[in-house]
Amino acid sequence: MAFLTPSAVSFVLFALIPTVGVLVLSTFSWNLLGAGRFLGIENFIRLLEDGRLWGVYRSTAFMAGAVLVINLLLGLLLAVLLESRMPRWLRGMFRLSFLFPFVVSSSAVALIWRFLLNKDLGLVNYWLGQLFDIERINWLGSSGWAPIAVVIVSSWKTLGFTILVYVAGLQAIPREYREAAIVDGAGAWARFRHVTLPLMSPTILFLVVINTISAFQLFAEPRVLTQGGPGDSSRTVVQFIYDTAFQGFEMGYASAIAVTLMVLLVVLTGIQFLIARRWTHYA
Amino acid sequence: MRRVRALRWQDLASRGATLVILAVAAFAIAAPFLWIFRGAFSPSDGELTRLPPSLPEAPILDNFGKVFDQVPFGKFVLNSLIVAGAVTLAQLFTCSTAAYAFARLRFRGRDTAFAVVLASMMIPVQVTIVPLFLVMSRLGLTNTLWALILPPIFSAFGIFFLRQHLMSIPRELDEAATIDGAGHGTIYLRILLPLTAPALATLAILCFTYWWNDLLLPLVMINDTQTQTLPAGLVLLAGRFSTGSLTTIAAGITMAVVPVLVVFVALQRYIVQSIAASGMKL
Amino acid sequence: MKRVRTLAAVGVVAASLAIPAGAGAQDPSDGLSGSLSIAYWNYGPAAEVGNQVIADGFMAENPGVTVTLTPIAGENWGAYYANLATTIASGQRPDIAFTASEGIKFLAQNDLVVPINEFLANDPEAAALQADIAPALLQSFAYGDQITALPYGWNNMIVYYNKAVFDAAGVAYPSVDWTWADFRETAQQLTADTDGDGNNDRYGFAWASNEIFPGILPWVANAGGNLVNDDVSAPTANSPEVVEAVTFLKGLLDDGIAATPSPMGDIFTGFQNGSIAMFGAGRWPSATFLNNGFDDWDIQYYPTGTTRQTVAGAGAYAILRSAPDPNLAWELQKYTVSEPVQDSLIGTPDAPRDSIPTLRSTAGKTVAAGIPPANGAIFYGSVDDYPTLTPFPAPAKYSEYESTVLRNLQLIFAGEVPVQEGLDTLQSELVAVVGG
Repeated sequence: MAFLTPSAVSFVLFALIPTVGVLVLSTFSWNLLGAGRFLGIENFIRLLEDGRLWGVYRSTAFMAGAVLVINLLLGLLLAVLLESRMPRWLRGMFRLSFLFPFVVSSSAVALIWRFLLNKDLGLVNYWLGQLFDIERINWLGSSGWAPIAVVIVSSWKTLGFTILVYVAGLQAIPREYREAAIVDGAGAWARFRHVTLPLMSPTILFLVVINTISAFQLFAEPRVLTQGGPGDSSRTVVQFIYDTAFQGFEMGYASAIAVTLMVLLVVLTGIQFLIARRWTHYA
Repeated sequence: MRRVRALRWQDLASRGATLVILAVAAFAIAAPFLWIFRGAFSPSDGELTRLPPSLPEAPILDNFGKVFDQVPFGKFVLNSLIVAGAVTLAQLFTCSTAAYAFARLRFRGRDTAFAVVLASMMIPVQVTIVPLFLVMSRLGLTNTLWALILPPIFSAFGIFFLRQHLMSIPRELDEAATIDGAGHGTIYLRILLPLTAPALATLAILCFTYWWNDLLLPLVMINDTQTQTLPAGLVLLAGRFSTGSLTTIAAGITMAVVPVLVVFVALQRYIVQSIAASGMKL
Repeated sequence: MKRVRTLAAVGVVAASLAIPAGAGAQDPSDGLSGSLSIAYWNYGPAAEVGNQVIADGFMAENPGVTVTLTPIAGENWGAYYANLATTIASGQRPDIAFTASEGIKFLAQNDLVVPINEFLANDPEAAALQADIAPALLQSFAYGDQITALPYGWNNMIVYYNKAVFDAAGVAYPSVDWTWADFRETAQQLTADTDGDGNNDRYGFAWASNEIFPGILPWVANAGGNLVNDDVSAPTANSPEVVEAVTFLKGLLDDGIAATPSPMGDIFTGFQNGSIAMFGAGRWPSATFLNNGFDDWDIQYYPTGTTRQTVAGAGAYAILRSAPDPNLAWELQKYTVSEPVQDSLIGTPDAPRDSIPTLRSTAGKTVAAGIPPANGAIFYGSVDDYPTLTPFPAPAKYSEYESTVLRNLQLIFAGEVPVQEGLDTLQSELVAVVGG
């Protein structure tokens, strides 16, 4: 039992108490100062009628989903290409470039991106115009593009890690499997489809879970880049919670929103694991 | 003869395409950093952002000095090292012991407890930040590095990750040891810990980079500049009403990113190997 | 320190009853003693310096007093108030908190601030102090009948213009009495496609997408309106004046003579590299520009619309209810508007400070000392020349109010919602925040 003590103590102090705190707070009206007022389920009734909440969930789902899909697909493509034959120094260079953004804090880099993506002054639109004659895109100021800008910057930030994990997964596949397939006369695609992909399924599950968690925690990027706007088009639920708590001083209502996110994420991961159980192959 | 040549052409073409795709992707990803590095040596914001872009006529080093003038940058680095290092060591300890308990021990309520751990993995700290702050201030620890080190010590992800890895190690190993009279402490320390080294290394890397970069906890818990960490410190450079200058921020980012990058470059082969060996099974 | 905390706990109860009798009537020969802690917004190293000046100076003048500084983090005012509130909620009880006029309602409504009416009435020095402060500035810390604090420094909204861009375009610098029509024409002439690639790369004007004070507020005020009514009890966000101002700005965007609204930091950058010819702000960008070696700019009032008003916000060291000795705290507040402290707000020609001094006499010294900009006299002059001061409309839930306004304006300026419709939505959303 001694083995559980260190994590049990930290669990109680830093996970359980805060979580119970959120549940309790969600039934109160409290502005951080003064005494709270017990509301029962009133906060949750208000949630149902809050038109903004659904908009924010829609934006979050879009951005989280897009980051997840881009990372999984583009990451796999780049990882597979990275494992093809090439000089070692070149591979090292590529890996280094991909990992660059992963090692620096999002908030500071988002400040730089914000200027690069500026519609009229930024370099991105300048080069798109010079090279491809594309009209200036209102990256941060239009409802259509703002979430896309957030997705680009977030994927840019996390793609390198996804690639790294994929590469590790690819290297863990025993060489004999692929060689056997070649002997059987399987083409490149067939080898990928029937050998690599199934053997990579634990890696992919790992990435799906990790990327889902981090995608739903998107916070620094939209806040610095777009402040969640225009409207709520690039606002994430986490930012909505933060805004409600620390701008609106509605600790109770913010906690009620937090409860919905908690429930959603628990259910979502549960589903991922159920699907994974049927689908994942362990070598 | 013809066929062989055609094949070789095809091979060359596909290798060429591979390199082109990789090069374009690598450039697109690294480009903002090239701009940041260039900005760090630029004499002014006006010069840096003038279109069309150009290389600085006379690169300068003043921006690095300005970073140190404006914020205690060395202190930030030190604080970040302490926090990320301490959290990593602590997590390795709490997660590996708990993972051992969940993977190897039988006790009442184990499965329920594990389910609770799983569920809590999905609760981001942003959600519980208000009660967490109240807990830390009751303990009188806000404005100290403890407020940044203690909350992340419990990591559901870490426990889960290591437990899955332990499950894949054959039980026969420790059963043999038990027959030889080894207790749980010995089995954990002498047998399983060495076997989970790659997984521990992977967790350490993930943990260290995450907490090295975390912004939310320092923003909420720390008010004193001298106790601030690097990410929040870089935001301080942006200044009130964004009165900071891009070139100074760029110099700050450059100094923040280069050491980490060097470590990554030096260790990247081991990092890939340990992630590969850890199996990443969930 | 421990004693302060115990005292503070008692003080909460005591101070909430009333200001102790004899407030402000302290005998100066007595010499002050005790300890004070000041909570301030730690927005960066500059904040620490300014507050250290006050703490050290006050202790030097009063050897019996210990002043400690409690820095509070936060990326903007809203975050600062949230963190201040959490700090207080967690049991730390500063005696004095630096606050801006936009935060005073929040503090007053939660009964955290000791009003200074009695001090002003009883302190023999108060009359002389008040005489040297423009009445409009004092009013910015009014809450109902209460005066909540003496302003320490303040900012009003003026237009910065890049002289090199004006010269290059052959456009005359703006004059004091320019109108909206003049402004539009000036901005139009400054806008250009300098590299001939078919896109404008120099814009006459730009405004902030992330702040309303230097964003739309001056325009709304000069159209004769405001976003809320006079006693800040109901929004007036879809009044004809607001519609007029927003329509004017939207027109600048549609005609391509204003750059897309961006966060303030990006506008500073565009202004320095010459791609934005004019923008509006307070005194605070001056030091940033000079620090970057950029000095080819000057300032002018916002152009006259239906009226000409000063849009201003101030900062002050408010006395908190939790202060066990409000008299001592009052002495410190008075010290923040004393000559030596006010003089420290002047700065140097290379590094002006970021707020305008509250004392008219000190403001005069700033001009005399040749602190840039050349036209710096209009900083203080604005309150005397155009005494109708539109205080930063500041409901108690200031942060939520500001983000609600910005969120809806973004949609209007992106052209996704018509002006009237967008402001109607804003109005209805603001009812929940402001009341009415």
